[in-house]
Amino acid sequence: MIDVENLTRHFGRTVALDGVSFHVARGEVVGFLGPNGAGKTTTLRILAGYLPATAGQVRVAGLDVWRDSLAVRRRIGYLPETVPLYDEMRVHEFLSYRGRLRGLRGARLRRRLDETIAACELEDCRRQIIGRLSRGYRQRVGLADSLLHEPELLILDEPTIGLDPHQVRHARDLIRRLGQNHTILLSSHILSEVELICSRVLIIKQGRIVAADLTENLVGILKGNPQVIVEVQGPLEEILPVLQKIPGVSRLSGRTVDSWHRIACECEKGSDVRPDIFRAAAERRWTVRELRAERRHLEDVFVELTAEPPEV
Amino acid sequence: MSNICTICRRELAACYLSPVAYVTTAIFLLVANATFVVGVLRNLGGDEPLPTLLFNAIALSLPILVTVITMRLFAEEKRSGTIEILLTAPVRDVEVVLGKYAAALIFAALALAPAVAAIFALDWLCPGVTLADVDPGAVLAGSLLLAAQCAMFTALGTLISLTSPNQIVSGIACFLAIWLALMLGWLLSLAPGVPPRLAEAVAATTHLEDFARGVIDARPLLLYASGTALLLFVAVRLLETRRWAG
Repeated sequence: MIDVENLTRHFGRTVALDGVSFHVARGEVVGFLGPNGAGKTTTLRILAGYLPATAGQVRVAGLDVWRDSLAVRRRIGYLPETVPLYDEMRVHEFLSYRGRLRGLRGARLRRRLDETIAACELEDCRRQIIGRLSRGYRQRVGLADSLLHEPELLILDEPTIGLDPHQVRHARDLIRRLGQNHTILLSSHILSEVELICSRVLIIKQGRIVAADLTENLVGILKGNPQVIVEVQGPLEEILPVLQKIPGVSRLSGRTVDSWHRIACECEKGSDVRPDIFRAAAERRWTVRELRAERRHLEDVFVELTAEPPEV
Repeated sequence: MSNICTICRRELAACYLSPVAYVTTAIFLLVANATFVVGVLRNLGGDEPLPTLLFNAIALSLPILVTVITMRLFAEEKRSGTIEILLTAPVRDVEVVLGKYAAALIFAALALAPAVAAIFALDWLCPGVTLADVDPGAVLAGSLLLAAQCAMFTALGTLISLTSPNQIVSGIACFLAIWLALMLGWLLSLAPGVPPRLAEAVAATTHLEDFARGVIDARPLLLYASGTALLLFVAVRLLETRRWAG
């Protein structure tokens, strides 16, 4: 659905994008991550046809974003980061206007208006003036606008920014539902969101793609060994040597709080020491109240890949 | 074409949903017609034809009207960021420019029409003046040229609005540019070495006076029509510059 090859964009002397290449297949929901100023919004604006590229090729549905700009724009629903809307218009007037610009007319326009207003839960404020809406509702109006013409590709720039937790959950559910029959490329700072919504992730840093893979694969590439956390009650001088002897355990660290020893077992890659720990504890009648593999999150990958090297 | 109408309708709605439209129209009508009435009273018994006084009065207030209408056209969209959703919708740049231009022109026409029509209420406004002194043909000819000039000035304002995200900056620039266009003939006539015929050919005030006497000349109409087309063409190209590789 999206093919980007060697995309470069300069702003004066600043290189915002430096040879970015990636591919998004039809039906995928892809997260686009990066620190502030990494080039996320610039990439999305180029995809949406708002900014030109300095060099490189960008194709959407096989069409060149610049040469076949109108055809591409008909296939795209774009929600900019700042959600710009006409404040003096009412919600239904605005959506009706935007529908007309996308070529919707008559019964089809009315049907799509009703559908998107229902999907984005905007029935309550259908006749309200946009300038008086809360941030959450504005975001929904922007999302409804991007969905109106049933686009094949949705480009959402920070769709959950500024929303309260309820609204974030609602937006997440909506995007997930949309992902069933749309291709979605979304940028976000909320990494847990991306982990929940997106099947694949692109990470950009200083205008270059530093990682592009399935979310679970990315978590797997993390440096450092996996950890198992065990919280156990028993004689510490006995526990530590037993755990240390379990095959696969390479290092132990921990602390004791209220007679409970919370021990982090660093393990060798690929090993799962949890059954052995459980058996050792059961045989010696130690009480175990927690035993879990420490899950590595996308956030860890993000921080590791986008961290600035320490200044020397 | 339908996109031009859609954009034009939204622009007009945005105009008339804000008090600025009504205040602008009211101030324009007040200033233009007051200037006209004062001119008529001062000219009682004089030989200046009434349509000439009318169109001179309107031309004097025209820069204010056109500036207020056009300064927000693109500057406001740039300031609020809505230009991003407008230009990523499947509309051509030429449709965006023409849609906004058409809305501004309709607004201007709706303000100008009552200002011109005021001449037919003269016997009520100025005792001692009878409508028999008014030549309807001259009023029609003057209106034709006023429309042509207004079309060109509105195109100029549309173009200037594209250059700045700040309404005040684009407003001041537009106001000065329209005054310059109105005074161009007079300024050229003062400049040494400029052929008088050239200065005469671009003298907007002289054109208006000629038309207001009922003298219809195709050359000024052609000048304003081609000026309008050129300015709109440049405006479309200017909007397209964002598509040039950065």
